[in-house]
Amino acid sequence: MKTFTLFAAALLTASISSAQSINDAQIASIVVTANQVDIDAGKLAASKGTNAEVKKFANLMVADHTNVNKQAVALVTKLKVTPEDNDTSKSLKEGGDKNLETLKGLKGAAFDKAYVDHEVAYHQAVLDAVDKTLIPGAKNEELKALLVKVRPAFVAHLEHAKHVQSTLK
Amino acid sequence: MRSLALAVLAGVLAFSGEGAAAGARPAAAAAAKPATVKIAIEGMKFSPADVTVKPGDTVVWTNKDIVAHTVTSKNGAFDSKVIPPNGTYKFVARRKGDFAYICTLHPPMAADFKVR
Repeated sequence: MKTFTLFAAALLTASISSAQSINDAQIASIVVTANQVDIDAGKLAASKGTNAEVKKFANLMVADHTNVNKQAVALVTKLKVTPEDNDTSKSLKEGGDKNLETLKGLKGAAFDKAYVDHEVAYHQAVLDAVDKTLIPGAKNEELKALLVKVRPAFVAHLEHAKHVQSTLK
Repeated sequence: MRSLALAVLAGVLAFSGEGAAAGARPAAAAAAKPATVKIAIEGMKFSPADVTVKPGDTVVWTNKDIVAHTVTSKNGAFDSKVIPPNGTYKFVARRKGDFAYICTLHPPMAADFKVR
């Protein structure tokens, strides 16, 4: 399971990092998809998780990523940018769907562990993408500023997920 | 009128003696006019993270982050509940004390707030 998660995260990083000359419409799509994938996993874990800390973390992911997406959508609407599907946003969506499928087949402690392991890998991969591809690639200053602004929240999520992960072992 | 002025002056002098050591604001505090102190919630931090106010002062927290936060004192003196992005929370400091507080959503976010 863990190998799978890490492998998926490695693939995600590779596909995002290899994105050459990314445009703002593609970045918008990646941001919205990345948030939505984590909201969907969080909703599942909030209802199916058993450990109280896991459920609390899942609820926070739903709340925080919903807020991020609200502001991302407000900005792209204002900028009149139509999010454009691309290989990275597609692979994020597919990875998210696979993760949901895997999680749906698990129960109890195994579910909690798989969800949190994936959250750690996922936030690490998304942060790498934010730093290496999305911030450097964003052309519009407001879009770049939004990505810079969102970064500390993702760092906090990664630390939080790692903390929960350490208590599950 | 003159006695009042002298009393105020005496207050300023008395305070500046104390204020010099503490590095506080002398004149404004001596006039006992309630101040409004602003604290930003930004980048998953409270800024400034250690604030001292006088009784009667108002503290306003503004959430400049992209996610929601709370301002919740550890001793139960105040709790903003959820402050959405761009939202604010206002608290009037009535009694003296130390009010360490956190964001209950992101507990590593902690700061100090004192009323002296």
